[in-house]
Amino acid sequence: MKELLNELLMEDKTFLKVPFGSGYLEIYKSVVMTWIVIAFLFILILFLTRGFTVHNISKRQAAVESFVLWIRGVTGGMLGEEAIRYADYIGTVLIFIAFSNMVGLFGFTPATMDLNVTIALSIMSIILVEAAGIKKRGVKNWLKGFAQPMAVIAPMNVLELVIRPLSLCMRLFGNILGATVIMELIKFVMPVFFPALFSLYFDIFDGAIQAYVFVFLTSLYIKEAVE
Amino acid sequence: MLEVSLLNIGLTILNLLILYFVAKKFLFGRVDAVLVQRREEVESATKAAETAEQEALNTKKEYEDKIAHVDEEKEQILADIKKQGYAEYERIVSEARKKGDQIIVEAKHNAEVENERAKEVYAAQLTDMVIDAASKIAATKHSAADDMELYEKFINEAGANNE
Amino acid sequence: MSLTAIGAAIAAFTGIGAGIGIGLATAKATDAVARQPEADGKIMKLLLLGCALAEATAIYGFVVAIMIILFS
Repeated sequence: MKELLNELLMEDKTFLKVPFGSGYLEIYKSVVMTWIVIAFLFILILFLTRGFTVHNISKRQAAVESFVLWIRGVTGGMLGEEAIRYADYIGTVLIFIAFSNMVGLFGFTPATMDLNVTIALSIMSIILVEAAGIKKRGVKNWLKGFAQPMAVIAPMNVLELVIRPLSLCMRLFGNILGATVIMELIKFVMPVFFPALFSLYFDIFDGAIQAYVFVFLTSLYIKEAVE
Repeated sequence: MLEVSLLNIGLTILNLLILYFVAKKFLFGRVDAVLVQRREEVESATKAAETAEQEALNTKKEYEDKIAHVDEEKEQILADIKKQGYAEYERIVSEARKKGDQIIVEAKHNAEVENERAKEVYAAQLTDMVIDAASKIAATKHSAADDMELYEKFINEAGANNE
Repeated sequence: MSLTAIGAAIAAFTGIGAGIGIGLATAKATDAVARQPEADGKIMKLLLLGCALAEATAIYGFVVAIMIILFS
């Protein structure tokens, strides 16, 4: 069992080595996984949105339109009215994380199992939150906002700048790591029927819930920073 | 497991931005275009329907006004005609009256003239008769009783002639 | 007995907090649904959200335990 865990977790994550200057640029497998997911989503979108008409719409177009409106409803409800312009980005991140978490069904290791990907996602989120705050209030008011409601808790507010993205990334990473490890163990112990049953919970449900929680917390922070 | 390499973080951020722009252009852009166009069509159709309804209401009001006016005009025309009729009637009646008065006056005048002439004729006859009587009296010598008889007979004859 | 095993076992204690928290949340959620059955969609959404957020601390403990086992 220990070899299994070792092989899963301590593997060399380099996918390809690009010679650069006096060393190597190591590109990880997770980045390649992200490329694959992006290419797949791109082709899917192109295929689904081909030939849109205004009247006499086909069923495919009706499905795509209702899906877009549903996502906009979900993200718009979380973001509130002032921050509705970020609904597109939040929806994209939601779809990306949900897809990335579910490729475990197909035998790949999920892209979000790598700490770098989740760190990248949380950095983007925190930059978005602070940029929304600055754009809404102006630089001076945003700096003053650190001292609210009392000047005593200003260090905590500054620390929150670091703690929030850290908790976001660790939550996502830990959940997907745990799900993948348990799936591997189940596949090792009972390879016949139970993996399919459990992967229904671990891969699909857990992946979707974690994506939703990530996006929900980001939009909550945005809403709090903008109002 | 926990290697953090900035290169890969940067690459992932780049990938995320690429995905965001792809989704915005292809998915949200196209769906938004269709939705906006549909909403504009619905709005323009609603506005055209509203304008047409407003126009129809205005025209109906115009027609109703005109019909009300037609009633009024009819009444007015009838009143005018009646007034004119009354005027005519008045005029005719007054003319007739005037003519009647005139005829009466003329008739009175004529009657007076006739009266005058009859009086003259009577006076002439009387003169003739007086001359006759006087000659008769002159022709016969009579006594006073005979004269009285003759005078009475003459007056009776004159009275009978005049009746 | 190596200290890594003890360390990993202590790190796995964080599951207690998650268990208590989620149990309390579910109890209050069922109370709320019993009080007002037509709001059960919203209550279920809130419950799922709360469970996912509370599970995070247990997951932190799990990650720390794995790191302890694998790195020393």
